[in-house]
Amino acid sequence: MLDFTQLDLNTVEPVYTQINEFVKRQIFLGKAKKGDPLPSRRELATQLKINPNTAQRAFRAMEEAGLVLTPKNTVSILYFDDDLLLDIQREMTADIVAEFVRRVKENNLSLDEVMILLQQEWEKGAEE
Amino acid sequence: MVQIEKLYFTYPNYATVLEDLTFSVPKGQIVAILGANGAGKTTLLKLIAGLLAPDGNLQVLIDGKAPLELAGKIAFISEGGTYFNDLKPKEYGDFLQDFFPSFDRPYFDMLLEFFQLQERPIKKMSKGQKAKVEVAAGMAKRTPYIIMDEPFVGKDMFTRQDFMQALAGTLTGEETIFITTHEISEIENFVDRVIILKENNLVVDVTLDELRQEGRTIQELMKETVGYQEHSFCSLLEKIE
Repeated sequence: MLDFTQLDLNTVEPVYTQINEFVKRQIFLGKAKKGDPLPSRRELATQLKINPNTAQRAFRAMEEAGLVLTPKNTVSILYFDDDLLLDIQREMTADIVAEFVRRVKENNLSLDEVMILLQQEWEKGAEE
Repeated sequence: MVQIEKLYFTYPNYATVLEDLTFSVPKGQIVAILGANGAGKTTLLKLIAGLLAPDGNLQVLIDGKAPLELAGKIAFISEGGTYFNDLKPKEYGDFLQDFFPSFDRPYFDMLLEFFQLQERPIKKMSKGQKAKVEVAAGMAKRTPYIIMDEPFVGKDMFTRQDFMQALAGTLTGEETIFITTHEISEIENFVDRVIILKENNLVVDVTLDELRQEGRTIQELMKETVGYQEHSFCSLLEKIE
């Protein structure tokens, strides 16, 4: 069962988007696998203290994104194909890189400097 | 569906409290009614519930009817609690079952179980447990309209969160809800729409979708509109924690 209590909602993005992103991240981190059951809409609403229409909307968004399958009269499960998994992996990595680049730019580092630092850090990690 | 058109209200020998309010709320929407103290929030709620009559006729319509014709379809959930202190939850359920024809007893019992409430006098319960009894009783009346006036007053942060969790876990999504509160942070991720009253008028009417598209929070909206944040010191303390 996917545990949503770890999701700390912010007040800037739409709630259903945050739920969608959280599920993708759980998949990316290997904490959630294909076939894992999701909580019911009511359980999701309770865990996140959101209104049930928002929970419903989150499920619909995940179904439309091809992340979740809801067979008739049973619980929803995570279901995605390999293409989507690749997309998620790319997206999550792109996010980390974008964040990293933003921060080094804030620190006024040039690309050459960053490449050298990156090389050093990378090799340091390899030695350990 | 709640329709409010050109709503005026004046208390006897008193200045006008509400002036020319017009808005409608579709079924299933959760609406926060916000504003500074004295802006007319509670008056508006009472008008919707039929506890006060507007100046003139038929300025509030619920499913096409005057609120008073809808007895039993509107529930109040108040922070004070409407339960009897000496009763245990199931005894309170027995009373409600006798008193309210639409009371859904199995649902009430299910909610008690869901909230893990023990059978002991309500007066011996914690604030959070009392809040859960109040929510279970209010929800089991199965009314399509729910009005909550300052449900968080006098509750600490944990009790407020318990209350929100209780509420989130019992709604079906069909209920139309009006809620007033100064605890903005509790409802940021819960309401669908925000209406702000200021100096007798409706000054803001925005959906949460629109607000987030603009990248703004309810807290910021309140600050811009009303000019100050109540409990700003409390929210500062919460951030430090």
